[in-house]
Amino acid sequence: MPDTTITLDVFRFQPDGGGHARRSTDGPTFKAYRVPYHEHWVVLDALNWIKDELDGTLSYRWSCRMGVCGSCGMMVNGVPKLTCAAFLKDYYPGTIRVEPLTYFAVERDLIVDMDGFLGKLKSVKPWLIRENEKPVDEGEYLQSPNELASFKQYSMCINCLLCYAACPVVGAEEDFIGPAALAIAQRYNLDSRDQGAAERADALSADEGAWGCTFVGECSEVCPKNVDPAGAIQRVKVDNVKDWYRKLLMPWGHR
Amino acid sequence: MTFKKSNEAFWWSLFSAGGVLSAMFLPAFVVISGYVLPNQSSADPGRAPYEHIHGIVSWWPVRVLLFGVIAFTFFHVAHRIRHVVNDLGWRHHTAPLSLVCYGGAFAGAGTAAWLLLTLPSVAQ
Amino acid sequence: MKQRYGTPLGPTWFLGRAAYRRFMAREATAFAMAVFLVYLLLWLRSLGQGYTAYGQMIELAKHPISVFVHGLIFGAVLYHSATWFNLTPKIMPMYVAEEKVPDFWAAIIMGYLPCVAVTTVVLWAVLRSAG
Ligand code: SF4
Ligand code: FES
Repeated sequence: MPDTTITLDVFRFQPDGGGHARRSTDGPTFKAYRVPYHEHWVVLDALNWIKDELDGTLSYRWSCRMGVCGSCGMMVNGVPKLTCAAFLKDYYPGTIRVEPLTYFAVERDLIVDMDGFLGKLKSVKPWLIRENEKPVDEGEYLQSPNELASFKQYSMCINCLLCYAACPVVGAEEDFIGPAALAIAQRYNLDSRDQGAAERADALSADEGAWGCTFVGECSEVCPKNVDPAGAIQRVKVDNVKDWYRKLLMPWGHR
Repeated sequence: MTFKKSNEAFWWSLFSAGGVLSAMFLPAFVVISGYVLPNQSSADPGRAPYEHIHGIVSWWPVRVLLFGVIAFTFFHVAHRIRHVVNDLGWRHHTAPLSLVCYGGAFAGAGTAAWLLLTLPSVAQ
Repeated sequence: MKQRYGTPLGPTWFLGRAAYRRFMAREATAFAMAVFLVYLLLWLRSLGQGYTAYGQMIELAKHPISVFVHGLIFGAVLYHSATWFNLTPKIMPMYVAEEKVPDFWAAIIMGYLPCVAVTTVVLWAVLRSAG
C-alpha cells in the first residue's frame, strides 16, 4: 500500500444477509475502508479496489468508467455524482461518504431500485409517435440542423438519475414523474418528426408532471450531461399554458 | 399510471405575468414609496408634491397600469406563497391554503380596482 | 413496499445545501412583496382621501421602522427581479434569425434592459418638477 491513503465511509445494506455476517434486521450501516490514494483515481476506482482487495460482497453498478452509461451514480458526501467522474483529489484528505442515490429504494449496498423511474419514463412515451407511419421506401424523416438543435441538449440524458436524487419534490412526492423523464418527454415534443404531444399531454400537464416542479433548479446543477431538465420542465409548463388557453378559447377546436 | 387533471396552468400563467410585471416595476415603486416620497415633503413644500403625485396616479393610463401591476403581483405572490408552504411540508389537504392564498389575491386585486376607480381626478 | 432511502424532508430540508437556500430565498421574496402590496393599497387609499390623509401616510413613511422595512423589501424585490431575469431565458429561449441567443445576453435584452428603462421612466415622471 502506498504511504498515502484515503478513507471511504461506505453505505452497506444487504437485505438477505448477503455474504455478510449481518442479517437484514440489522438495517443499513456504514463501513469505513482505507484505500490507497492516487491523484488520478476516481471514487469508482476506490470502490473497485475495495471489492477486489478488501470485501468482495460490496455491490454497486458501473460499466463504462467514462460518464456515458449512467450506471455509477451515487451520493458522494451528500451530493449526487457519477462516481467515475468524482476524483479522490477533490476530497483528499477528508473522508468520503458514499451512499446510494437518495429517495430511491435500496436493493443492496449502493444499488438502487430503478423500476419506479422506468415506469415514469414509460408514462411519457419517450419515442417518436407518428399519426401515420410512412412506408420505409419513402425514405427517412428529414430534419434541418436547427430542428435538431432545438432538442439535442435534452437528448443527451444518460438516465443516471442524479437529478432525481437532487430534487426535493422527488423526495416529497413519490409519484412525481421527475426531471429526466420530463426533459425526455420535452425532447420528443420538440422533435420536428414527432406528432405525439397530445398523447403525452395527460402525463405532462398533471400535478405529477411538470406542475409538480417548483423550479428548485438543482437537477440542472448536478446533471453531468448539461441536459438542463429544470429548463425543459419550465418549457413544458409554457406549452401546457398555451394548450390550456387554447382549449378555453376554442373548446370546439382540436389541438 | 393515471394522472389527475390540473388547473395549475391557469394559476401559473397569472403567477408568471405577475412575476414579469413585479420584476420590472417594483424596484422603482419601492424606491419611490420608501425614499422619494418621504423625502420630498420634508422641507414643508406645501401641497405641491401631493398634487404632483395625485396628477400622475389619477391619469387613466397610469390607473390601468397600476391596476395591472398590483393585481398580477398579488397573484404572483399568492401562488409563490402557496408553493413555498407546500415545499415546507404542507402537501396534503391543501384546499384551505389555496383558498387563503388565491382568495387573498382576489381581495387584493379587487381592492386595488376599487381604489383606482374611485380615486378622484384632479380638479381642473 | 420497498423503503425509500434518504432522510424524510422536514420543514428545514432546504438548509442543507447552498442551492436550496438560494431557492428558498427566492421564494421568500413573495412575503416581502405581499407586505409591500398591502402598503401600496393603504397609500392609494390615502391618496384618494385627500391632502391631509396623504400627509399622515407620508409622515408614517418617514418613521425609521418604515425606512428599514422598505430597505428589506427593496433587497427582496431586487433579488426577485434578478432571479426572474436570469431564469427567463431558460423558460423562453430567445432566438434571432433561428439562432439561439446565449442565456446571458437574452437575460439582459429581455430582462435587465427593459427594467432599467421602466425604472428610469417611472422615476423621471415622479421626480420631474416635484423637487
Ligand atoms: S437529466 Fe442529467 S442528471 Fe438527469 S438522468 Fe439525465 S443525464 Fe442524469
Ligand atoms: S461508469 Fe458509466 S457513467 Fe460512470
